[in-house]
Amino acid sequence: MAIAKAERLMNLALCLLGTRRPLSKRELRTSIEAYLEAFGPGHGAGFGPGRAAASGADGTGNGSDDAFNRMFERDKDDLRELGLIIETVESVDGETGYLARRDSNRLPPITLDVEEAAALGLAAKVWQQARLAGAASGALQKLRAAGMPLAEDDPYEGRMALEPRIPVHEAAFEPLMLAARDRRTVTFDYRKANAAHPEQRCVEPWALECWRGHWYLAGWDRDRGAERVFRLSRITGRVRSRAMAFTAEVPDHVTVRETVESWAGETATGTARIKVRAGHGYPLRARALSARDLGDGWDELEIPYGHGLDAWLVEYGADVIVLEPSELRAEVIDRLRAVAKG
Amino acid sequence: MAGNAIDQTRRMLSLVTYLRERPGARVADVARAFGITEDELIGDLDVLPMCGTSFRGGDLLDIDTDGDRIWWHNPDASGTSTGEPLRLAADEATALLVAARAVATLPGLREGDRQALVRATAKIEAAAGEAAGASSRLSVTFESEGGVFADVDRAIAGRRRVWLRYYSPARDELTEREVDPIRLFTMGHTYLEAWCRLSEARRTFRLDRVAEIRVLDAPSDPPPVELRDLSEALVQPAAEDPEVVIEVGPGGRWVAEYYPHDSAEELPEGGLRITLRTPDPASLRRLALRLGRDGRIVSPPDLADAARDAACEALAAYGE
Repeated sequence: MAIAKAERLMNLALCLLGTRRPLSKRELRTSIEAYLEAFGPGHGAGFGPGRAAASGADGTGNGSDDAFNRMFERDKDDLRELGLIIETVESVDGETGYLARRDSNRLPPITLDVEEAAALGLAAKVWQQARLAGAASGALQKLRAAGMPLAEDDPYEGRMALEPRIPVHEAAFEPLMLAARDRRTVTFDYRKANAAHPEQRCVEPWALECWRGHWYLAGWDRDRGAERVFRLSRITGRVRSRAMAFTAEVPDHVTVRETVESWAGETATGTARIKVRAGHGYPLRARALSARDLGDGWDELEIPYGHGLDAWLVEYGADVIVLEPSELRAEVIDRLRAVAKG
Repeated sequence: MAGNAIDQTRRMLSLVTYLRERPGARVADVARAFGITEDELIGDLDVLPMCGTSFRGGDLLDIDTDGDRIWWHNPDASGTSTGEPLRLAADEATALLVAARAVATLPGLREGDRQALVRATAKIEAAAGEAAGASSRLSVTFESEGGVFADVDRAIAGRRRVWLRYYSPARDELTEREVDPIRLFTMGHTYLEAWCRLSEARRTFRLDRVAEIRVLDAPSDPPPVELRDLSEALVQPAAEDPEVVIEVGPGGRWVAEYYPHDSAEELPEGGLRITLRTPDPASLRRLALRLGRDGRIVSPPDLADAARDAACEALAAYGE
């Protein structure tokens, strides 16, 4: 059976952390059992690919140098993913060496008390996304190794009633998170709210924000030459990375939420007067600026008027009548006609 | 799975540092400290003796367990000196900081807990250094229904029953009921899971739909119920629920984002034919009205009729 990946990564990490001088790829290949088993030791001074594969008769030496190189590169990337800083050092004879210096990989001293530890424990549980959930537990484990105290009993047991969760259902989340982190330009197919077909967009991703349980991306739309906000659930198909550097400056503060609020009609541009049947339309009453009883089984409300109010009011059917403004009244009547036609 | 190998490697590196300080540590305690099951820990302990720098003249980690305690026989052997905790990776700092900042803004979080979280966040930012930078690329805003939240939280802490005036959008009406709170959770919105004394069943209440709340003197006494699995969708229609078919144009595609459905078939010109199940199709009358020209109910026919009747009645009120 092939040696498990975690064992191989662990051994590579221990070699890189344990060495005082840079180790060449060749040295690492012969220092780690999993590499030896899969690829053999390689040729004596075998620098790089191109040489004939080692003899395969014993079943250990038939791996090519290319295959070893690919695995080694992936393994280094994986270790960097979990935080290891691996330096590459060019030796005098042109060979590349690798090492993970202790001082650059050390967690600076950090002292957390029991309350702080418990609060972080709660926060680490909120992610419903495999990569971030794994990263959050990994962070806690590093802090635990650094001496973060463990309460005798879970202090939130019976005390903290809340269980916050951050949902991540959108497949585009992880590739976009990584692209924003690494500042890589991406392309994806995006279907605007009212568009019949998706359209390809080329975006420099800046930031992701979760609002009301949905994720949004803010970034620079290269084709439109402007900042845009995208809703992740409207991205169809795969997110692809492009080998193109960012062209626009990344702002310090990205205003995802303000943009989405205006889409959602949270930004009122005026007020409307409506009639609501008594006992109905609680959400409208809850946000009313003023209300009075008309005495005939109806109440008159003044409510904020922003984008999307017509669609919301029409949901109440014959229990809500728009008085003014006239354009809102006309929009609601128009929508009702469409439904009445069937 | 590749992600698991990375998680396991990260955990084993921390484990080695942790165990060095604690000879004879108990399996149960270490598993709890690392937030893993005892089986997962034993799995790690099976791998660790295969790790080390023996091919470079060092040693393998001589770590073993009798299932109760963990012993490390050569903590000072050469090449096993991973004595120091490792720096936080960018993703680790991001995952922890973004979550901590979001939780710290939750209304109803106890002030002491909030302050602990704020202090911890500052310490993590300092310790993570550059790795903390990437966390500014993600942010999460939880919904805030502060006043109601505080009352529910108080009721749960004191194990008291609450009285609710609760808005049902499906019926556009407020109902009054007494419920025994079980827990609060936040997924986009904040919800109260409770035993409803009116329906004698477990119910989930969205806090922004609570019009009024009173904490009662009566003790809360919910029957033992299995907690809902929060990794699953909130609405889980039953197989016997009636089927509803909705056809929407491009402007109505959002329906598939908001309503859990069995299928959504693409139609020509960017439309969708959505099939979903609901215990109460009448509750979708609102949706039919809202869709207007962007979609229509195909079945059941009485739901389509109800929407049409409501629209006609409303038009009459407008004098149309």
